[in-house]
Amino acid sequence: MRPSDPMSRKLRVSAIFVITGLFVEALCLVWSKPIAFVVLVCIGGALIGLGVLFFLYSLVFATPHTTDPYRAAPDK
Amino acid sequence: MPTFAIVILVLFSAVLAGIVVVRPAITASRAGKILAFGVLFFLPLFSLVAGMQNEMQRSESTAFCLSCHIMEPYGKSLHIDDPSYLAAAHYQNHRVPADEACYTCHTDYAMFGTFEAKLGGLRHLYIYYLGKPPLPQDIKLYKPFNNRECLHCHLGARSFEQGATHNADPATLPAIKANALSCISSGCHDVVHNVGRWGDKVKFWEGGS
Repeated sequence: MRPSDPMSRKLRVSAIFVITGLFVEALCLVWSKPIAFVVLVCIGGALIGLGVLFFLYSLVFATPHTTDPYRAAPDK
Repeated sequence: MPTFAIVILVLFSAVLAGIVVVRPAITASRAGKILAFGVLFFLPLFSLVAGMQNEMQRSESTAFCLSCHIMEPYGKSLHIDDPSYLAAAHYQNHRVPADEACYTCHTDYAMFGTFEAKLGGLRHLYIYYLGKPPLPQDIKLYKPFNNRECLHCHLGARSFEQGATHNADPATLPAIKANALSCISSGCHDVVHNVGRWGDKVKFWEGGS
């Protein structure tokens, strides 16, 4: 899989959403203010949720590799 | 799970997800696919649930309630050195867990009590940050204090069931149990926090946390 593949790009985008959400969550966990819970759920949860959903979306709608050597091999 | 363990788990998950960002090609192998599923599905959701559960638990702590500026006098009322102050007497004598003092009395011991308490907390947050918060002494309960919350601990206790005042009139105890005679607003245990009405002579207990 090359970094420029659509699947790679989707995985990257998904991972970036997840990482950002996880950092928001980590900050909220050490931030002892009542609003931390709301930030965790509304921002952290939304970013993680988006990342996970985008990952699942990329799996479901992944296009098969047409250059797959096993598929390209002629039947014997 | 302790907070620091969840923070470590969250950061570990973020680092693993970082590997997918830097080297997405590793997901071409079977092990890489398993890694991608772990770090982009399982670990983030697990971390989120663990974090939310941790925050929910933290929201029950006395320190959490008192972290709002407006609640400071209520926290101070727990240290009043006078046993007639109901909240102070309960807090100082550990009749309620000292680290969950507010939640223990102010949650609703009914089926959806915890859920309602959390919704109430969100409403407090909205008023605190986006609305016009009242003065501490003007804060009122949303609904009259239900005896059920007191009876959650006191029901069946000897001091309650056989207390002289509770048994002076045979109708008193059944009325308390039926919530027809309020524990705190019928002139019996009506000094609770009394914020704004302490006067100059009130003393504070130095112990506790």
